[in-house]
Amino acid sequence: MSARRIPWTLLIFLALLPLPWIGSRYQTFLGTEIAIDALFAVSLNLLLGTTGLVSFGHVAYFGIGSYVCGILMKTYGLPFVLAFPAAGLGAALFAVVFGFFCVRLTKIYFAMLTLAFSQIVWAVCFKWNAVTGGDQGIADVPFPNMHWMASLPYVGDLNINGRFYLLSLVLVAVCIAAIGQITRSPFGRMLTAIRDNRERAAFIGLNVRAYELSVFVVAGGFAGLSGALYGIFNRGVFPDYVFWPKSAEVMIMTILGGMNYFWGPTVGAFVLVWLNQEITNYTQYWPAVLGSILLILLFALPGGILGGLARGGAALRRLLAGRGDA
Amino acid sequence: MRLRHLLAATAAALLLPVAALAKGPIKIGFPIPLSGPTAVYGVPILKGAELAVADINAHGGVLGRKLKLLPRDSKANPAEAVRLARELIVKNGVQFLAGTLTSAEAPAVSTIAKENHVVFVAPSAKTYELTDPQNFHPYIFRTASNTTIEGQAGAIIVAKWKNVHTVATIAPDYAYGHDAIAAFVAELHKLRPDIKIVDQEWPKLGQANFTPFITAQMAKHPDAVYCDEFAGDFISFVKQAAPLGYFKAIHDRLADGGEAGSIDVTRTLGKAYPLGIWTDAYDPVLWDGPNQPPADKAFDAKVAKALKIKYGSSWAIQGYVTIQAIAQGIRKAGTTNDTKVAKAMSGMTYTTPLGPRTFSAVNHDANAGEYWGKMVRTPKFPYAVISDPTYYNPEPAGH
Repeated sequence: MSARRIPWTLLIFLALLPLPWIGSRYQTFLGTEIAIDALFAVSLNLLLGTTGLVSFGHVAYFGIGSYVCGILMKTYGLPFVLAFPAAGLGAALFAVVFGFFCVRLTKIYFAMLTLAFSQIVWAVCFKWNAVTGGDQGIADVPFPNMHWMASLPYVGDLNINGRFYLLSLVLVAVCIAAIGQITRSPFGRMLTAIRDNRERAAFIGLNVRAYELSVFVVAGGFAGLSGALYGIFNRGVFPDYVFWPKSAEVMIMTILGGMNYFWGPTVGAFVLVWLNQEITNYTQYWPAVLGSILLILLFALPGGILGGLARGGAALRRLLAGRGDA
Repeated sequence: MRLRHLLAATAAALLLPVAALAKGPIKIGFPIPLSGPTAVYGVPILKGAELAVADINAHGGVLGRKLKLLPRDSKANPAEAVRLARELIVKNGVQFLAGTLTSAEAPAVSTIAKENHVVFVAPSAKTYELTDPQNFHPYIFRTASNTTIEGQAGAIIVAKWKNVHTVATIAPDYAYGHDAIAAFVAELHKLRPDIKIVDQEWPKLGQANFTPFITAQMAKHPDAVYCDEFAGDFISFVKQAAPLGYFKAIHDRLADGGEAGSIDVTRTLGKAYPLGIWTDAYDPVLWDGPNQPPADKAFDAKVAKALKIKYGSSWAIQGYVTIQAIAQGIRKAGTTNDTKVAKAMSGMTYTTPLGPRTFSAVNHDANAGEYWGKMVRTPKFPYAVISDPTYYNPEPAGH
């Protein structure tokens, strides 16, 4: 298996880099959204696919990240270089507190508690008018200062949305590469051991709760970073970004793409965002159509899209090998 | 196979170029709530806008080009409104934006308009913050009234009531409610320093259960109430307040600045409408008094016919004049270039069925007041109506 040695993150990053030059404004716009959603979904998959923790409240850390970044940049006028890491740290900090309680429970109780915490965060964001802007959120979050890009060759010709796409793509690629490293590290292998058999992992002396809390915090931090980008991308931060349907959406992305594959969530983010945009063009009943398509995809490809591709590839190989014998 | 089709479709969709034709219709994006409690106002605003587009196109369009409206359901949600506004600009290539209903949606969409240099005209959002010096930009315009005008009008009305010493307020917990109540309280203090504000309730927009707010307010025994609940929220509020004896306790001394005198509300509430309260409407439609301009009578008949509802709507006028103002701005500028149209619209006077209105050259707010009066029932009309509707515009644009 030489596939493991292919630097996928770098290849995908390079393939997506020229989008603002060759694509339309709309495609650049979609590309930014997909990149940000992909990071959110990959961070969730650290819990879901890697560790086997089902979190229904992952949106809390995404939302905290977007609020922290939005408030720092809009209310306090801080630059992006400070607000962006602060968003990740802020989200991670909340993940420490909430995770401390969550990892004390398992399975459905764990899932319910994560949901409960995310609803608390939502309620605070929704009600705390003075800080979060309440129902109407914080409009007009400024773009990061990207004037320095003007001096770069080629990049200088891009408009602000094109530049923000590049900035997002670089940051998302770095984050995804970091998550990849974590997944492949001994720490990541331990997480997989916990996923495969929690009892046995504990029995061989693993402090399961400590590992679960650590990955919860790491996943929360990366979700916060994606949230920070999302708030800027949407030019405002709104309570919707902390509301549970967004948790469901990111979970759909992850499962749709294939949670047993590192790139599954990214594929899921691409397909879901794209389907969403396309279907809304044709019918106002798009949630029903989207639901039906997801139903078919999940039935036809139980391992997600990447799972389906892998099985298809294997079947093709078998077929070719069979022919070779004959 | 299925997968290959999917991939092929994906590739095809990504390669489709975004149509950006210079000629063809002039496209106007129109995000507005078409579902949820605020749809009571949103749907007729859109109908009014569609009517204006049909009228203009029937007369040859603008600069020889037809207008095309692209309506979208914003669900009264600022995040959704932003998403739709950007999609309309970037993907559908609209040259102008109009619409949004709430004071949460409009400022959010205003950011998008500013960034993309697209003229955006708000037919309904009233928060003064939309056009205050901090948020004002050359592309934002408003045909709606604003919270300053509304709060002051409410205070003038309440100040005239006899034997009122204590007043309570109830308003949705977001920019519109907070700004209108602040303007009301400030003006009331000026007019009647003796009146005390004894209670302030802030249910959220789209509140389902008003009972806790109603009982808490009744416990403070206010003599009168200033209310800013509107659309579906006003309807829920009334249905839950009346059985609790709320209106009896305050002797029907409630003033509501949320266009609760709109026929869209009176029709829905029917016999349950609380008579005796004071409220407003952009266009009372069922005009219980002699002062309806003939142009408005004709307009209302046209709306009723187009909407296929008897008596039409009080909100259609807002959608209608918004599109008319954009069309007039384009004609005046002689081009669809947004920067030039925005310049032409600044300080422009446009005609409405209820008389001329002018966009302030300072903040682009229209000098739009509303018609206020006491809600009564007369044998002439099937629903509650505003008695002798009177135009209130205490604070001209340029606060």
